[in-house]
Amino acid sequence: MKVLADGDGQDLIALERRSSSLRSAKSAASYAVLVLFTIISVGPALYIISPAFRDSKSLFSYPPQWLPSEFFLGNFQFLLTQTNYVRWAMNTLIFATGVTLIALVIDTLAGYAFARMQFPLKKTLFGLILATLMVPTAAVLAPTYLLVRFLDDWTFGLVGIDTFPGLILPMTVSPLGVFMMRQFIETLPPGLYEAARIDGASEWRIFTRIVLPLMKPAIVVLGIFVFMLQWANLLWPLVATTKDETRVLTVGISTLQGQFVTNWGVIAAATLMTLVPITVVFLFFQKWFVQASVAGALKQ
Amino acid sequence: MTTTSATPEWAQLTMSPDECARERSRFRRHALKPIIGFLGPFLFLWTLFLAVPMGWATWLSFNEGGLVSDAKFVGFKNWTTFLNNDELRTAIKNTSVYVVVAITVVFGLGLILAALLNNNKKSQNFFKVALYFPLLIPPIMAGMIFFFLTHYDMGVINLLLQTAGQDRVNFLGANPNALMTIAGLEVWRGLGFWVLFYLAGLQSVPTDLIDAGKIDGARNTRRFLRISLPTLRPLMLFALVIALIFNFQLFDSVQALTKGGPTLGTTSIVWFIYKQLFTFQQSGVAYATSLALLLLVVALTIFAYGFLGHRKDGLK
Repeated sequence: MKVLADGDGQDLIALERRSSSLRSAKSAASYAVLVLFTIISVGPALYIISPAFRDSKSLFSYPPQWLPSEFFLGNFQFLLTQTNYVRWAMNTLIFATGVTLIALVIDTLAGYAFARMQFPLKKTLFGLILATLMVPTAAVLAPTYLLVRFLDDWTFGLVGIDTFPGLILPMTVSPLGVFMMRQFIETLPPGLYEAARIDGASEWRIFTRIVLPLMKPAIVVLGIFVFMLQWANLLWPLVATTKDETRVLTVGISTLQGQFVTNWGVIAAATLMTLVPITVVFLFFQKWFVQASVAGALKQ
Repeated sequence: MTTTSATPEWAQLTMSPDECARERSRFRRHALKPIIGFLGPFLFLWTLFLAVPMGWATWLSFNEGGLVSDAKFVGFKNWTTFLNNDELRTAIKNTSVYVVVAITVVFGLGLILAALLNNNKKSQNFFKVALYFPLLIPPIMAGMIFFFLTHYDMGVINLLLQTAGQDRVNFLGANPNALMTIAGLEVWRGLGFWVLFYLAGLQSVPTDLIDAGKIDGARNTRRFLRISLPTLRPLMLFALVIALIFNFQLFDSVQALTKGGPTLGTTSIVWFIYKQLFTFQQSGVAYATSLALLLLVVALTIFAYGFLGHRKDGLK
């Protein structure tokens, strides 16, 4: 009887061992799949480094040349001297930062009004704004373009095609931002500012001294979300700019594609130069980036 | 005298109906002032750049001209042209094929990878960052990167095929390859997002449900299929709607990779609007198409909000 029980124990240990080896085989397989997709995700962008440092002619040679044979800097030189790359990069920074700052200000203010203030038609107004939550840029592209063209005359060239206000302002309107901010302010404990209100503080004072300092995480998340969206924006800048003075990177790089001949080395160099800074920023603030993109989607 | 002595004091505290109304409106004005300050900036920009363009587009969709020349009322002409336009029909077909392919692949792969990551706690953060990386790249530049993969002469894939003695594949110059390459680009760029999205969802599945499954002896796969997946269903339906809305606006990768060709093979709805507006100056048709796209998106949004109530009990 005792022997049998020992045998049972042995069997159990063997079973355990077998299942644990099965488990480790499974986890090795899942690991392999994840590694494969990591290579797929990062590999293509890494490959860009090679053509960026090669003469465009060598891209078409056979047998293929995978790595630069010499450290060719002609593409970068061309980009910095023959094109307005630096100007485009500056414009992208102005455009994306401008949209982000304005959006943050108007969204937090409006979010506070909808979360904490009482006024007639509040529900109707919020409903109307929510109804436009999903309106895609593409669907209002044509009339917005037309409107900005008209504004050129009405504002004496201040807001118009090929001006920064004309490029920035239409993109600052995002009902999603107001919605996110309102949701966040509503989660703050009301006791915090009811005390201040009883003490006779004005709405503005309550907002700047009590609510705003508590909103830092929400502001960072919304800020990254808006910036990421706008720095990648192609459609509106493509329509709203015609000159290099206001052209942004996404539009500029697409103009590098020639009608018949394209200098691929230069395109690789431009892509690389654009990706390096954003990747560095991303690696420093990755947690916030991830949170911003998921929050943006979950809160929609 | 003793009873009426208090009357004058008491009377000072009450107001006549006239005074009362005046005071009330004064109070309201006082209370409304900060509201204008808080709500004004957003409301002004929202009206100017969202509400007005939408209304204007509706009006102009019944007119001819409007972009350069004066608008001329033509009734439903744009709408009928728009419905009978062969190019638009191709655009709708292309966009739909693209949406179905891209979403199916990205959702399937995203869910599988999220499930794998969920069981792989140790290096989760590394994989999250790596898979998220392509999302940083603006679609137009992702398109440029894809050129270096799929170009007929210099693309890495074709160079590898050539080295292996195989026939090259014409990824961009033939149909339906071009549209599939564009779908591939979207999958490549968007995959990380959906992995993170599902991972957040999977991690919010109540652990007591999973533990109950463990005690009942359900294996990993079975627990995933029978417990996690049904809990995620509302979230997935909602994600589907967001992905539909987003993908119906396909434009950037078309601009980067194919410019609508070969022979309309990758012409999408937004590409069609863009072309009508800026190349052919057919603004009326463009407005009508824009509005149709808007109506489609609004319909999808209403559909999404229908599920919003269910979404909340699936999460947290």
